[in-house]
Amino acid sequence: MSKSLLIISRQAPWSGPAAREALDIVLAGGAFDLPIGLLFMDDGVFQLMPGQNAKALQQKDLTANLQALSLFGIDALYACADSLADRGIFPTQVAGEDLEVLTAEELGALVNRYDQVITL
Amino acid sequence: MSTLHVLSHSPFTDSRLGSCLRLLGSEDALLLCGDAVHAVQPRSLPLEALEERGDSLRLFLLDEDLQARGLECPAWATSVDYPAFVELSIRYDKVNTWL
Amino acid sequence: MKFAIALFSAPHAPSSRRALLFAQAALAGGHEIVRLFFYQDGVHSASSSVVTPQDEQDLPRQWADFVSEHQLDGVVCIAAALRRGVLDDEEAQRYQRSAVNLTAPWALSGLGQLHDAVQAADRLICFGGP
Repeated sequence: MSKSLLIISRQAPWSGPAAREALDIVLAGGAFDLPIGLLFMDDGVFQLMPGQNAKALQQKDLTANLQALSLFGIDALYACADSLADRGIFPTQVAGEDLEVLTAEELGALVNRYDQVITL
Repeated sequence: MSTLHVLSHSPFTDSRLGSCLRLLGSEDALLLCGDAVHAVQPRSLPLEALEERGDSLRLFLLDEDLQARGLECPAWATSVDYPAFVELSIRYDKVNTWL
Repeated sequence: MKFAIALFSAPHAPSSRRALLFAQAALAGGHEIVRLFFYQDGVHSASSSVVTPQDEQDLPRQWADFVSEHQLDGVVCIAAALRRGVLDDEEAQRYQRSAVNLTAPWALSGLGQLHDAVQAADRLICFGGP
């Protein structure tokens, strides 16, 4: 059985290539049909915000890649409830079909469920 | 499953320690290296936050980083060298480095 | 125990040295390193064009020597490397760039190599940041 991998993405989409490169790990894992989870935490939750305009900074739109996740078989998507609350974001603002918002306790359980973790 | 969480950012300029403590489980441990060892600076807020966790927190510190900074390892924590770091990464089921 | 080691930082970051010392200790302890994978700014730690002052530690050289000496599988992520100007001969020719700064023992490859290493190893250990 394949080992499962949880990616914890903590970077905002506008702070350089880190958020994109975290997502690339997820997409590559999906392309190999591996069990991959993606948790948005800290500034990483900003990746989920509606109303982003990548063109204003002459960048590519990361949200399009997020929407492609399900095509790659990635449907284990999570967001940290505390990170959202700290930033004044309502879970309903970022709610997607597959996104699950987790409390601190549930986060610990989530990390436990995966074989390996990369936090970046 | 247990996790060894590894931090290397200074707790005074960075939110990783707080986020890590948020999801640190009872079976988990914390290894501080690099600037993260400044967390055991006497009388500091991060040290207070770590001490608040009490006996439930297993804390390890990379010895070379303590030495470089002239910091003492608290009596309730354990300082480790690289062979011990390797052993820790085996003792815990996985290693989560907060990059 | 089989380790996969991923490095995310440039050679001037203390974490690049930390990763090297961890890798050396792992081998000294009788463990195996199935692959080193350099990603994000970690690609600079494999660059042969870094010039370190004589009285400082030459991390890219030490990394390359370590990989050669133990005949390890040293993989540098191709997408991250291109973005940061770390090119082997083939890529320098392909994109018509004048400098080649990635040579043996390193090999450019894709992120699939990271996933492959995670599957093959008992532990994935990442190093990065300060």
